[in-house]
Amino acid sequence: MKHLTLGVSALALAASLIGSAAFAHDDEENVTLYRVFVGDHKAGKVTAFDLSKPENRWTFETKGQNKLYSVNEGAAIVSVQSDDDVVNFINSGISLHAHGDHSDIEISDPKAVEKPLTGPRPFHVIDHDGKIVVNFDKGGYNDIVDAHELSHGEIETTRLKQARAHHGFAAPVGNGWVTTVASDAPVEGGAAPTRVGLQAVKADGTPAGDVATCTGIHGEAFSGAFLAAGCKEGILTVTKSLEGPVTKLLPYPADLPKDQTTGTLLGAKSMQVFLGNYGAKGLVVVDPVDEPNFRYIELPFRRIDFALDPANARFGYVLTEDGSLHQIDVLDGTLSKSAKVTEPYSMDGHWNDPRPRIAMAGDDVVMTDPNAGLVRRISKTDLKEVGTIKVEGKPYNLAVAGGSGKVHEHGEEHDHDGHDHAHSQGDPKIYAGYFEDGQVKDRPLSDYAGDWQSVYPYLKDGTLDPVWEHKAEKGTASVDDIRKEYEVGYKTDVDRITIEDGVVTFYKNGKPSKASYAYDGKEILTYKKGNRGVRFIFKKADGDATAPQFIQFSDHGIAPNKAGHYHLYWGNDRAALLNEVTNWPTYYPSSMKAKQIVSEMKAH
Amino acid sequence: MKKMKFLLSSLTIAALCTTAMPSHAKDKKLAVVSSFSIIGDLAKAVGGDRIELRTLVGPNSDAHVYEPRPADALALARADVILVNGLLFEGFMDRLIEASESKAPITVLTDGAEILNDPKGGHYHYVDGKAIFHATPNDPHAWQSVGNAKVYVGNIAKAFCAADKDGCPIYEKNAAAYDEKLTGLAAEIKTAIDALPKERRVAVVAHNAFRYFERDYGVTFLAPQGVSTESEASAADVASLIREIREKKAAAVFSENISDARLVKQIASEAGLELGGALYSDALSPPEGPAASYLDMMRYNVKTLVEAIDRD
Repeated sequence: MKHLTLGVSALALAASLIGSAAFAHDDEENVTLYRVFVGDHKAGKVTAFDLSKPENRWTFETKGQNKLYSVNEGAAIVSVQSDDDVVNFINSGISLHAHGDHSDIEISDPKAVEKPLTGPRPFHVIDHDGKIVVNFDKGGYNDIVDAHELSHGEIETTRLKQARAHHGFAAPVGNGWVTTVASDAPVEGGAAPTRVGLQAVKADGTPAGDVATCTGIHGEAFSGAFLAAGCKEGILTVTKSLEGPVTKLLPYPADLPKDQTTGTLLGAKSMQVFLGNYGAKGLVVVDPVDEPNFRYIELPFRRIDFALDPANARFGYVLTEDGSLHQIDVLDGTLSKSAKVTEPYSMDGHWNDPRPRIAMAGDDVVMTDPNAGLVRRISKTDLKEVGTIKVEGKPYNLAVAGGSGKVHEHGEEHDHDGHDHAHSQGDPKIYAGYFEDGQVKDRPLSDYAGDWQSVYPYLKDGTLDPVWEHKAEKGTASVDDIRKEYEVGYKTDVDRITIEDGVVTFYKNGKPSKASYAYDGKEILTYKKGNRGVRFIFKKADGDATAPQFIQFSDHGIAPNKAGHYHLYWGNDRAALLNEVTNWPTYYPSSMKAKQIVSEMKAH
Repeated sequence: MKKMKFLLSSLTIAALCTTAMPSHAKDKKLAVVSSFSIIGDLAKAVGGDRIELRTLVGPNSDAHVYEPRPADALALARADVILVNGLLFEGFMDRLIEASESKAPITVLTDGAEILNDPKGGHYHYVDGKAIFHATPNDPHAWQSVGNAKVYVGNIAKAFCAADKDGCPIYEKNAAAYDEKLTGLAAEIKTAIDALPKERRVAVVAHNAFRYFERDYGVTFLAPQGVSTESEASAADVASLIREIREKKAAAVFSENISDARLVKQIASEAGLELGGALYSDALSPPEGPAASYLDMMRYNVKTLVEAIDRD
C-alpha cells in the first residue's frame, strides 16, 4: 500500500467540506475551509465570509476602495487603497502548514491588523519568499513587510528606494532584489514617467546591476524558478544565481497578433508556467524554458478578468465581457469549456468601473457580480452555478484564503520535542502546542520551586526502557531510535536543581553553584510542525559566576501553574538558547521514585 | 482517506485501460516516464531499446526542489508507464500527474523494498545555504541499498510486462542479467567497506541520504540535522554536530552532487576535518561524469569514501 502515500491529491482533498469554522472534534479531521474577502466598489469596506457557511460573516472598515491580495499562503489579506494612500492588513484566520504528505489547518476569526502602512499611492503588491512588497507609485520606494511578523499581527518594514517614483514594483530574487526603473525624461504636469526596464538592486535599493530593457514593464508574477513581467518587446524573465538576478527577454514571436503586449501575468503554483493577457481579446501561455515559449489563445470577446487554479495547474479561467466564463487548458493552449455565468459587462469605459472579478476557492470559481450585489459560486468542473451569496453594495475586488488540512485536537504524534506530558490537568490542545497568543501569561519562578532530579541517569541505567517501548508501540519509530533521541534530549551533567525563594542551585556532577534569578519575559516558539511552545525566561540577578546568565523553562504550560516536571535550557546567550531544540534536560521532583516517573511518562 | 480512494481508483482505471487495449503495437516503443535520473538508469537497464524513456529530474538535480515544466506534464500525458520512487521523494509528482490527466499506471518502485522508518520524521535539503525541511514518515533514499535496487528492478520489469506483454520475456531477461550485476556490486561494496578499520567508518554529509547505505554496509553517517524536527539546521544543531563528530571521531566530511558545499565546508573547517570529495546521493552525474549510471554511482561513492577514510 506504499504507493498510496505518494502524496496529496488536490482533487481528493477538496472533497471534504465542513459546515463552519468550528474546530473539528475528532482526533484528526480533514477540514476544508475557504474564506472570501470582498471589497466594495465604492465604500471603504471589506466583507469576509466562509464560503461553505456565509452566515459566518465579518466586516472591516477601510478608508477607501480596496484592491485585495491573499498573501503568505492565505494567512493574510492585503487591502490596498491606492487613492487613499493606505494599505491595511487582515489576518485571515486560516493558516496552513504543509507537512509533506498532509497539511495542518488552523482556524480562527479574521482580524484586522491595527497598524496600517501609509504612503503616496500604494499599488502593486508582491508576495514572495516571506516578504510582502508594496510599491508606492508616488513615493518612489517599496515597503517590505516581513510575512512572519505579520502572522503575529506585527508590521515590520524595511524600505527599498527607487531612483524615481513610478507605477512599478520591486521583488526579491534569490539573495538579491530587482526593481522596475523609470525613465529620467521630464514629464508634463502630473503625468507618470514611463518605465524603461528592470534592475538588480540591494535590499535598500542601491543599484547592483545594469538595467535590462523592458519598455513599459508591468504585470509581474512568480512561477517555479522564474519571475516574469510583460513589456513592449516581450516577456522579461528573471532567475536567481550566485552572482545575483539573471534576466532574459523572451520576444513576442511573429505569429502573435501585432502591436499588442502583455501587461498582466499570473504564475502557476504546481507547474512552471505563466498565463498572461495579450491585447484586449487574447491570452498567452508562457513557458519560460521550453519552446514554444508563447502560445496564444484568442477569446471570443474582450477579457474582464482571469485566474489560474492553484490546485490543478492544467486549468485557468477567464471571464469575458459577454458574461461567459471559460475554462482554459493551459497545456493545450485552448479554451476547453465555456458557459454563461452573468449578465454582460462591457469593457468600454474606465478600467476601474464596476465589473466582476474572479478567484479560485477549491472546487469553485468565485465571482463578484457588482450589479447583482452577489458573489457567485461556479463549479470549476462544469461551470454551473452552485450558489450565490448576497453582499451589500457593489461587490468588486476579491481575494480568497483557505484550503484543506487536518485539525489536531490532540497532537501526540506531533510532539517531536520529546515531551512527556506529565500533567494532571489542563487543555490537551495547549499541551500539544495549539493556543492563541492571548492565552499566554507571565509566570513566576515559584511555579518551578522545589527540589528536582534529572531523569538522565534513569535513561543511562535502563530504568526508562519501558517508556521507549511504550512509545514505540504507539508511534512509528523504533525503540532504539526513540532512545537515541532522548539520549540527546535528556543529556546533562546537572543532576539536581533546587529552586527556592528566587534562588536556583545547580548541582553539576554533585557540585553546587547558585544564583538568584529575575523574570525576563516569555518567548513563544513556533515549531516546524506548526504547533508552538512557550519558554519562560529568567535572568541571573546575582550569584556564582559559574551559574548561567539565563534559564528557560518549558513545561507545556502557558500560564501560571505549578510545574509537575519541566525541561530546562540554560546558557549565557538568551537568543541562541531559543534555537536549542535537541537537548532539553528534564527534571522531575526529587521525591519521585524511578518507578513513579516511568508510569507518569507512560501515562502521557 | 479520500486521498487513498482517489489514487486507488485512478490506478484501477489505469489497469482497466491497459488490459482493455490491445497489446502494445510492435512498431511503437513503450513510452516510459521516470521521475529522476537513478530510476531512469534502472529503467534503461530493463527496457533497453524497447522503451522510449523520458526522465524528468536530470543529472545533478534535486528532485525535492524540482520545478516541473509543461513539457513534463505533456510527457506524462503520453506515457504508457510512469515510474516513481514514492515515499514522498518526488513532492511535485502527484500534482503534475493530476494536471497531465495521464491514464498511465503509476509504479512506485519502493513497493516491497526494505524501508527505513525515519525517526526524525523528515530531513533537510540545503538550497543556497538555506535549509529546506521535508517531512516524511519514511526515508525515501532506498536506492542507496543495492538490495532495494533489486526490488526497484523487479518492479520495473513487472510494470513493463503489464504494459507490453510481447516484450515481457526480454524485460525479464534484462532484469535478471542486471540483478546479477547488482549482486556483484553488493559484494564489491561489502569487501571494500569491510577492509576499513571499524572505528574509522564514520562520515559526515549535508543531508542524510545515506541511512540505507549505513544499514546495509556499516558506515555511520552524521548530518547537521538535529534529532528534533522542530527547527532548521540552527547554529545549535551545527554545534551539536561538531560535538558528535569529535565524540565519534568522524573520518571525513563529504559534499553532495545535488547541493552546494558551503554548509559542509563550514562544518569541515570547524571540526578540523578535510573535505573528502562529493558523494552522489539523489542523482547521477551527467554522462561524461564519474557516476553516470547506478552501478558507477555506487562504485564511485564507495571509492570516494574509502579514499578519504584511508587517507592517513
